[in-house]
Amino acid sequence: MGAIVLQVKNISKHFPGVLANDHINFGLRKGEIHTLLGENGAGKTTLMNILDGIYYPDEGEIYLNGKKVDIRSPFEATKNGIGMIHQHFMLVDTLTVLENVVLGLESQGFYLNKKKIAERIKEISQNYNLNINPYAKIWQLSVGEQQRVEIIKTLFRGAKILIMDEPTAVLTPQEADTLFKILRRMIKEDKSIIFISHKLDEVMKISDRITVLRKGKLVGTVDKKEIKQKELAKMMVGREVLFRLDRNPIRRKGEVLKIEDLETHNDKGIIILRGINFSLPGGEIFGLAGVSGNGQTELAEVIVGLRRAIAGKVYIKGEEVTNLCPKAITKEGTNYIPPDRLKVGLVPNLSTVENAILRRYDREPISRGIFLNYEEAAKYTRELIKQFNIMVPRENAPVKFLSGGNLQKLILAREIREEPALLIAVHPSRGLDVGATEFVRKKLLEERDQGVAILLISEDLEELLMISDRIGVIYEGKIVGMVDIDDANINEIGLMMAGVHKNPLLKGEENVKV
Amino acid sequence: MRPDAYAITIILLAATVESGTILLFPIIGEIFTERSGILNLGIEGMMIIGALVGFATAFMTGQIYWAFFMGMLAGGLASLIHAFISITLRGNQVVSGLALSIFGLGVTNFYGQEFVNLQLAHTIPQVIIPGLSQIPFFGPILFKQDYMVYLSYILVIITWFILFKTKAGIQLRAVGQNAQAADAMGVNVYKVRYFWTFFGGLMAGAGGAYLTLNCAPFWLDGITAGRGWVAIALVIFARWNPPYALIGAYLFGAINALQFQLQSMGTTIPSALLSMQPYFLTFILIIVATLLVKAKHIGVPKELGIPYAREEK
Amino acid sequence: MLKFEKRENIPLHLRILIPLISILLGVLIGGIAVMFSQVNPLTVYKAIFIGAFGSTYVFSETIVVAIPLLLISVGLILVFKMNYWNIGAYGQYIMGAIFCTYFALNSAETMSRPILLMMMCIAGMVGGALWALIPAALKAYWKVNEVIATLLLNYIALYSLKFLMYGPWRNPRSFGFPLTKIFDLNAQLPKLISHTRIHLGLIFGIIAAIIIWIIIKKTKFGYEIRVIGENEIAARYAGINIAKNIILAMIISGGLAGLAGMAQISGIIHMLQIEINPDYGYTAIIVAWLSGLNALTAMIVSFFLGGLFAGASQIQITMKVPIGIVGLIESSILFFLLGGAILTNYKLYYKGRKII
Repeated sequence: MGAIVLQVKNISKHFPGVLANDHINFGLRKGEIHTLLGENGAGKTTLMNILDGIYYPDEGEIYLNGKKVDIRSPFEATKNGIGMIHQHFMLVDTLTVLENVVLGLESQGFYLNKKKIAERIKEISQNYNLNINPYAKIWQLSVGEQQRVEIIKTLFRGAKILIMDEPTAVLTPQEADTLFKILRRMIKEDKSIIFISHKLDEVMKISDRITVLRKGKLVGTVDKKEIKQKELAKMMVGREVLFRLDRNPIRRKGEVLKIEDLETHNDKGIIILRGINFSLPGGEIFGLAGVSGNGQTELAEVIVGLRRAIAGKVYIKGEEVTNLCPKAITKEGTNYIPPDRLKVGLVPNLSTVENAILRRYDREPISRGIFLNYEEAAKYTRELIKQFNIMVPRENAPVKFLSGGNLQKLILAREIREEPALLIAVHPSRGLDVGATEFVRKKLLEERDQGVAILLISEDLEELLMISDRIGVIYEGKIVGMVDIDDANINEIGLMMAGVHKNPLLKGEENVKV
Repeated sequence: MRPDAYAITIILLAATVESGTILLFPIIGEIFTERSGILNLGIEGMMIIGALVGFATAFMTGQIYWAFFMGMLAGGLASLIHAFISITLRGNQVVSGLALSIFGLGVTNFYGQEFVNLQLAHTIPQVIIPGLSQIPFFGPILFKQDYMVYLSYILVIITWFILFKTKAGIQLRAVGQNAQAADAMGVNVYKVRYFWTFFGGLMAGAGGAYLTLNCAPFWLDGITAGRGWVAIALVIFARWNPPYALIGAYLFGAINALQFQLQSMGTTIPSALLSMQPYFLTFILIIVATLLVKAKHIGVPKELGIPYAREEK
Repeated sequence: MLKFEKRENIPLHLRILIPLISILLGVLIGGIAVMFSQVNPLTVYKAIFIGAFGSTYVFSETIVVAIPLLLISVGLILVFKMNYWNIGAYGQYIMGAIFCTYFALNSAETMSRPILLMMMCIAGMVGGALWALIPAALKAYWKVNEVIATLLLNYIALYSLKFLMYGPWRNPRSFGFPLTKIFDLNAQLPKLISHTRIHLGLIFGIIAAIIIWIIIKKTKFGYEIRVIGENEIAARYAGINIAKNIILAMIISGGLAGLAGMAQISGIIHMLQIEINPDYGYTAIIVAWLSGLNALTAMIVSFFLGGLFAGASQIQITMKVPIGIVGLIESSILFFLLGGAILTNYKLYYKGRKII
């Protein structure tokens, strides 16, 4: 392996209430794939944002090829040959690939020479097998293609160091393999790559060296050949990680949710659910796996009444509820843990109390005629806080000041307290630390033991495997496979997520090829 | 067509262009301001400031084109108040724009007293373009106007070109659609927004100055009569695209010229009802435009009215 | 250089300081503007103060101006809390005046005073509510931008008034001036305090302020409105019917603006004419915002802004200072308030050192 091209010395960065990076030291060698490993909240993204100039460190220095550099904006990062590909793509969806690549470039004159730029894009695309049309509009491209546009953007600007932040979060296992091939080609061309991940399997597959962060601190840097997965996990979490949570035997009861031939559009008016069929009994956790963008979120939204179904039926406890308004569906005993806490589940500027009563403000005893009984509301909120161990310093202060974990606990508490028959949970542990994540999963299992039917939608296959009783795979708006947890095989599931295998448990499903 | 009717049609359409030009400047200005993500409801205020400054300059110096320039500049400077509050201080853009309009109306009332009912000795001279003005029908309508009108034609073309064919246009559209992405790509979001908000102010001032230097040409308190609001409405109608701004501006100008003509010809229709028509038309246009935009998913710049801050964890 | 960093809580003292300093700075700007007119600002401000509060009579005139400001602003507070920008109070006020005038002109002989006044109140509220219902429904069902819709309706309302005033409702004995005949005593709101022009509208205003405050703080409707205003998606997810709330809130807001119009022409002007002070519809926006969207505070703010207006009206005659000074000061105060708002949520750092 080559010389050190990038050295990070003693970098610290703090945000209100949290020390995100605590004196980190880290070195990147030329021509290597160096993985930055850690859980959600370990500080990986913060460190990389510092390298990319989005944040400025409070302490510490950065050296490139031995020379000290001061990176104060993404622009300067680019000038220094650093190109970052974020988890959430920095693409403008109404513009074309070409326009996105060119955005912010200094050297171009006033007028845009589209032909020359398109040629260069095609060149890069062919060189690395990226397969992108420069004139396509971003909103027309698939997620995998959009990611490759991001790669083109960095290569176009002459990046020698590439940083990829959780790139496989939005890809199927097969698409991830394609990406790895592209990355290996890049290091042959003397590029150096920093790869951020929290998924041990792919880390072992792709890395040359691995640096582990935990709670903002550096744990250590190791050579991939000299370490095993279990030891890495221990470095990441700091204690023995249980790969399977203990579960009580399953006791199914009745049919709580039934979906028949459900179809709907996404926000852009394109059809996203193409005929969903499944049924869910009480006392079971049905985990729905799938790469994001295949209709999972839309499915959840249709069930709870936030999105119109254009065909098909939804039954809850035998009653048809298709296209009823959210309030009516809630009355049928359905509760929802949405994927985006602060955007959908909570009102950031209102108090904890006012958020806690969002589900029952129009019912006694909190409701009293046209008035709200704030004493009862406060009483109820304190019950929730106690039961779910939520840290709320001031219950009348705006709820946005609570930490992510406590916010999610609040939502969980509020929804579970309604004693639903059906609970729809979408990415319930996204962005939470280990303690909060364990809490969420434990609570879901508790509800399942009480006979609640739970539809769990998650991008985290590990999480699904950990607590589901049954796993289904959604691909291009259809359920393409369903297995009992005891028969589940992660490779098979991955293939189904890419639409390849036919599952004998499903009737009449045709072989859907990628 | 009978020669009388023909002549009247030409006169009406030429008046349409003149009247529409008052609006065309601020509509294009606000298109670019909104494309950058900033909502500026202060157009009425900026227009009337431009109107007063333009008029006062012309009255005191007799230099018409210099007066137009000063009116433009005054509008631009006024817009910086809103820009500072909205961009750097991330204040509520709706209320800030409204405050700017109230400010403009107050300031011009306050300093405009001495100019009330004064008349300009010279107004904007008509400049006939040789050759082009001989084209049958369109010639006299489009090319027997003044420099400002010709400027507005060029403005439509240039702004369309900038928006879709240049790097600056890509930056602008990016900032208005996904400010975070633009920032990550090295675009200075604040600078882009300041620039195009200022441009919007210049254009609003230009519209106001054109009103008092040419169409009026005298000064009255509140002479803009709500045109600033109409301009904002027509931005939606134009779907944030300069060529459509022309259509909207001239539509309003046409109704305006028509009802003016009818009133001066002495019609039985009550004058109040006639004066109402341009606003009524704009009202209908807004509804239609909103429904159309919904149907075609083209749209409102996604960042419109949302302040941008980089370090939000 | 200049940097903003998120706060972890909202300091109480800033909540009071920022509005106060904004008022001071706004007044300062007004003073500077006056200086450019070669008039001594201190003389001007002293005269305004005397013109507003200097004697019992001008004090009562201040209250007279405050009445419509209060009625309209508390209605605006309700809809602004929902992030619905009703800029149409001007037109709703005019419509209220027009609707109640129908009864004033046609039923003055046939109805007793209390009944007639009640009908006029109801008519005024209905007029304003209907005019507000149009943009509300357009927004609720077709997502039409309410700022522009309400604004354009203002002009349509104004020209409707002009049409009536130059046409069917013109008093044949008014020498061609666009006025109706003077309202019979039956159609006039009774005075509350003799030797002043303060009328029953004051009670309307105070009751309205209290009711609006109760609605926002203590009812389910108020809760739903606040949720919609802070996070519309969460509101939908909670099952709140957004369309219904927009329409209901606007009916109330338009109704109050219409009532203000009725109160003004029935209690003060005693006829319908073109100049009926519809600009209160815009000033009320400033009152609402300066009150921090709190209906009780609005009582105080309408009083003071009423004083500013009354005082400035006086010096318009005595010192020839144009009335535009009012808009200048009000909007300047608003600018500072809007700009200063960021300090409640963010700390200000200059060159690395914390300032506020």
